[in-house]
Amino acid sequence: MTIVQTRPAPAPVRRSVPGRIRVISGVTAAALALLFAALAAGAWTVGDGLRVIGRDAGPQVVATAGLYLALSDMDAQVADALIMGDSYDRERQRAVDRYERRRSEANQALLKAFELSGDNPAERRTVQSVLDGLGRYERLAAQALLLDERSPHPPGRPPDDVVLLHRQATDLMRLVLLPQAYNLTLENGTIVRQTYDDKALTVPLLRGAVVLAGLLALGCLLVLQVYLARRFRRVLGPALLAATVATAVALLFGSNVLAQDEQALREAKTAGFDSVLTLARARAISNSMQGDQSRYLLDQARADTYEHMYLDKSLSVLYVEAGNLETYHAKVTGGSGEGFRGLLGPELVGRSGKAAMDAYRRFQAADMDFRARAADGQVREAVEARLRPVGEAFDAYDRSLVALSEQHENAFERAIGRGESTLDGLWRLLPSAIGVIGLLVVAGVWPRLKEYR
Amino acid sequence: MKRVLAAVVALMAAAVVAGCGTGSAESIVDQDELVIAVRPDLPSVGFRRTDGTFEGFDVDVARYVAGKLGKPFTLVPVLAADRDKVLVDGRADMVVATYTISMDRKATVLFAGPYHISYQDILTRPDERIANVRDLAGRRICEVQGSNAVQRVVEERKVPARVVPFADYKACLAALKSEQVDAVTTNDVILAGLAMQDGSGLRLNNAQFNEQRSGIGLPKGDVPGCEAVNRAITDMYQDGTAEKLLHRWFGTSGLDLSTIAVPQFEGCS
Repeated sequence: MTIVQTRPAPAPVRRSVPGRIRVISGVTAAALALLFAALAAGAWTVGDGLRVIGRDAGPQVVATAGLYLALSDMDAQVADALIMGDSYDRERQRAVDRYERRRSEANQALLKAFELSGDNPAERRTVQSVLDGLGRYERLAAQALLLDERSPHPPGRPPDDVVLLHRQATDLMRLVLLPQAYNLTLENGTIVRQTYDDKALTVPLLRGAVVLAGLLALGCLLVLQVYLARRFRRVLGPALLAATVATAVALLFGSNVLAQDEQALREAKTAGFDSVLTLARARAISNSMQGDQSRYLLDQARADTYEHMYLDKSLSVLYVEAGNLETYHAKVTGGSGEGFRGLLGPELVGRSGKAAMDAYRRFQAADMDFRARAADGQVREAVEARLRPVGEAFDAYDRSLVALSEQHENAFERAIGRGESTLDGLWRLLPSAIGVIGLLVVAGVWPRLKEYR
Repeated sequence: MKRVLAAVVALMAAAVVAGCGTGSAESIVDQDELVIAVRPDLPSVGFRRTDGTFEGFDVDVARYVAGKLGKPFTLVPVLAADRDKVLVDGRADMVVATYTISMDRKATVLFAGPYHISYQDILTRPDERIANVRDLAGRRICEVQGSNAVQRVVEERKVPARVVPFADYKACLAALKSEQVDAVTTNDVILAGLAMQDGSGLRLNNAQFNEQRSGIGLPKGDVPGCEAVNRAITDMYQDGTAEKLLHRWFGTSGLDLSTIAVPQFEGCS
């Protein structure tokens, strides 16, 4: 520009040609910059979505669900050990060992959850509160186990002082610690939904911006070539032609990557994460159901409360209209399995879904048998039923849920992995594309401008 | 060329604006102020004073949640039977009214929370003690029209109590004191509030036989609103407000507050 201004009286035509070339080149460069900015913004946005959903919330659901299961099983093992009395020495030792194992799993899960909670203050406070409570719980549970050992009793209800200690321990676990672990899992569902909704809105917009900026850049490149060809009577500018092709490729490739990653995010959420979360919740609730069975035997005064909790949890896992446990048992064990609502309702599809449904039915049938014995006053038989057929039916049911969840976990991992590798390709190519296209444009325009020096 | 560029920029701007405008039904988090429905008829829970203002545990919870959402609010009275209706026809944005979460209700409304876990309990005369629902067998219990508490004893638990119907809890309490019935049974916070208002020392037995989860009712589909309310409830338990409020309203009622249960959320989807 300065050159043009300092020249005394240049001819009007000669002054306007380099000026126009500069204007058109400038607009082209701006359009290209817009294209790459939009691409980078789009890639950053989907990358952020993949990171939050795939590397933060997804693993956090697994960690916190693991925490819940470990805590809930600790409480169930304590209740089991207390109802065994003096007839199950080996089993009692096994229950205590399992309690210890679960305790260490819970500690690990807490550490992991704390690490993954990042800068979310509410999550951190919750983890800390569970950590505090767990120490108190362990003390109460250890006291109850020790007192129970010192006061031998037949299988079934332990002495009153043991029941009272156990009551303090289990109240702390069920009313304070478990809900917090559960809500922590649920909070990740919130994070994923918010992130997904946000990305589902912005990514298509950025992809639109990429397409518009790309078309604009292509148009500018074409105009530039046509102008140069007319002015300088050349048919082809090879450098500009190459720049045009490279821009077209960058546009197609970039918008395609964004579309694919949008799809990967959608798949990770709907085919993976949502089901993993639901199944984790169902497993958590189911695990505390088997604890309610032992507690029902252990604490006579609260037997009705524990039975009602068991019914309530059954209803939330798999809902049929039933006013009491008897009706629920009849409907679930006799029903066709069609039209159930509740957490598992929509998840029990396909072959693994049907297997899980059958396993759940067998668990409820075993529960029916177990309660019939308890109601008849056959305490020893009820304890035997709880420890053997009911426990085994529960383990089989839990395994079927794990199998079902694994399918969705795999779908989740695949979608996140695919999204990330596609995105990696874009990040690797972006700098070289910027460099190459920039050089080509300069190589196409610079020689023409030089002719006016 | 400049005109083309200008047109493109305008087009992109339009696309952005259009994108932001595509929200579904308005969430409570996007509203400027809230209308919250509370009970006018339950002392210490949701109660309308003679000057027309409201007080009680539910009212304080509503106030806390609205504060956390950063919204000014107005309170409106709602009776038990209308709780679904006010949400469906839009007369209220939120219902905080000892609204027990149930699968049937979930078909029409969305529940945030629960914000409090209570139990069904038994209220007796001061000199009597009925600590277990089984001990209601053969005793006369009061049935209030429209409440299913008695069915839960007689049908769900199959306890052969003798059911005596009355119009409302006020009549029930009078009948209890004049020995026409031996017990009143319903949600423990309702009984605690009634007993404190009555002031003659009626005994709350802490029988705790049916867990009841009181949720915050929202219009169906408001998932962001439900999540925001759940976060507010988490804060309420973490910062000690829940415990303080329970002690303020029920501290002298005989309600067992030794363990403050943290509510396990229902989930918003």
